[in-house]
Amino acid sequence: MIVAARIFVVGGLTSFRALFYWLTPWIYVPTMLVAPIFQILLFAYIGRSAGLESDEFYLIGNALQYAAIPCLFAMAQMVGGERYQNTLSAILVSPAPRIPLFFGRSLPVLLNGAFVAAFSLLVGALVLGVHLPASSLAPLGLVVLIAAFSCTGLGLVNAAASLRIRENAVLSNVIFGFLLIFTGANVPLDDLPSWISTAAQGMPFTHAIKAARELAAGASLGDVRGLLGAELLVGAIYGVAGYSLLRWFEVLSRRYATLERS
Amino acid sequence: MAAIEAHELCRTYKTHTGTFRRRTKEVEAVRGVSFTIEPGELFGLLGPNGAGKTTTIKMLITLLIPTAGSARVLGLDVVKDAREVRKRIGYVFGGERGVYERLSGYDNLRYFAELYGVPPKLQKPRIEELLELVGLKGREHERAEGYSRGMKQRLHVARGLLHDPEVLFLDEPTIGLDPVGARELRSTIASLTAAGKTILLTTHYMFEADALCDRIAVISKGSIVAEGTPADLKRGVGQGSVLEVEVYGVDEETIEQVRRLGGVLAVSVEEREQAQVLVVQTQAEVELTSAILGHLNGGQVGRISQREPTLEDAYVALVTEE
Repeated sequence: MIVAARIFVVGGLTSFRALFYWLTPWIYVPTMLVAPIFQILLFAYIGRSAGLESDEFYLIGNALQYAAIPCLFAMAQMVGGERYQNTLSAILVSPAPRIPLFFGRSLPVLLNGAFVAAFSLLVGALVLGVHLPASSLAPLGLVVLIAAFSCTGLGLVNAAASLRIRENAVLSNVIFGFLLIFTGANVPLDDLPSWISTAAQGMPFTHAIKAARELAAGASLGDVRGLLGAELLVGAIYGVAGYSLLRWFEVLSRRYATLERS
Repeated sequence: MAAIEAHELCRTYKTHTGTFRRRTKEVEAVRGVSFTIEPGELFGLLGPNGAGKTTTIKMLITLLIPTAGSARVLGLDVVKDAREVRKRIGYVFGGERGVYERLSGYDNLRYFAELYGVPPKLQKPRIEELLELVGLKGREHERAEGYSRGMKQRLHVARGLLHDPEVLFLDEPTIGLDPVGARELRSTIASLTAAGKTILLTTHYMFEADALCDRIAVISKGSIVAEGTPADLKRGVGQGSVLEVEVYGVDEETIEQVRRLGGVLAVSVEEREQAQVLVVQTQAEVELTSAILGHLNGGQVGRISQREPTLEDAYVALVTEE
């Protein structure tokens, strides 16, 4: 039990430092802190010029959705980076229990994703002059954390795919674009084709973005608990699916020798 | 109980070519390999590139499932008891990749100490002890990206020993090391055997196998073609002799003609600076010097010498046999 807990916490943090190449200010600041502000401004100004939604709408949608960058890319790097550095076989030949091994790697990713989204939300609000009620800040913090959780779940699926394909950065970019449309970040779900708004119910961020907008509009945490529960459920389903895929691909890699091949 | 038992191990790979018209080809990397290694023994697996050495090791360390046959490590089945096997073995591979470049040597070891369940209180003294053993003391807090190839290789060795495994698999651990580094690593390997570890070592270097291994198996094209002590293998060609002819440019056709001469056991060509050396192993009491020179007619020939066969000659004869 102690071994599993240490692999989860100490192992997770160490592997994050080992594999997350953005952990230098020269890369981290532009990609994690500046780029989301650009994305928020782009959509807010498009919205203003076209007379569509409010700045607050785009601020919340894009700040939360940008957590997809750290969550998807870092999770893919969790396996892809190991393959690239030739360390994956050393990991898989260890007797380390796989649940703490893989989920422990998700924890720093989740926290980083939440930090990026929270930073984007606060700085974006300052830049655009959006007023977020002080009473909504703590509940918004919780929503950000839950949104990062559900996207990290999807990131685990992405990580599993990296056991079979080498081009995980391409896949992460495709998923990011997909989430930009399918989560209602920039277009109200009701205005999207019905099949997209139906599919959106199974996407990370959809329920969290809706909950955050309601909180910013004055709703209480109790009012949005259903949305948060749905977001948690979506994240948990992706997390379980991602872990199951990782184990399955690990077995296949032993059977078909695919560990070092694509 | 044997430390390692391989029984008729086979491994087939499927390779694909083409994008739209995909063609599948089956490659038999290992074809019925069997051997037994006793506890405390240092067993060498020798063979040329692509002979099946690494594939055999990967099956024994649970990274690959055999397509046929079975293997046991310390009595545990490598397929059914994979996790138990992993707890008891260490795996060291050659080359400079396979370490976390962004982490220090110390953190690399600490991470794997966690994965192998080394108790927190024991981690520090164990890591210190291993850093001392592999000669990385004093450099352990530097990032691994700044390490030389030899230092990374020694870090691999330390990592493989973190949990004090009973059985150690060393896959070409000295490849690419400078002579001093390779010698130091060989002395580390020898000290591990002295400490009672069972070691399976793969290497290209005959002198290394000769100096270190209790027994050797030569693997060629996926099958074991000879097994025994280094002395046994040398005896296999000990009745013959070796003729070395320095040449300057020899073509494949000429080599083939020499190979077809009666009494010739094996022919290989070694590059030595600007010259090549035609190494011809012959049966005992067969004089082929003039016949060989006849085939080299027209080419520039340098020094000619005759000597006793070495383990390397035994190896070349074994792996070049059809």
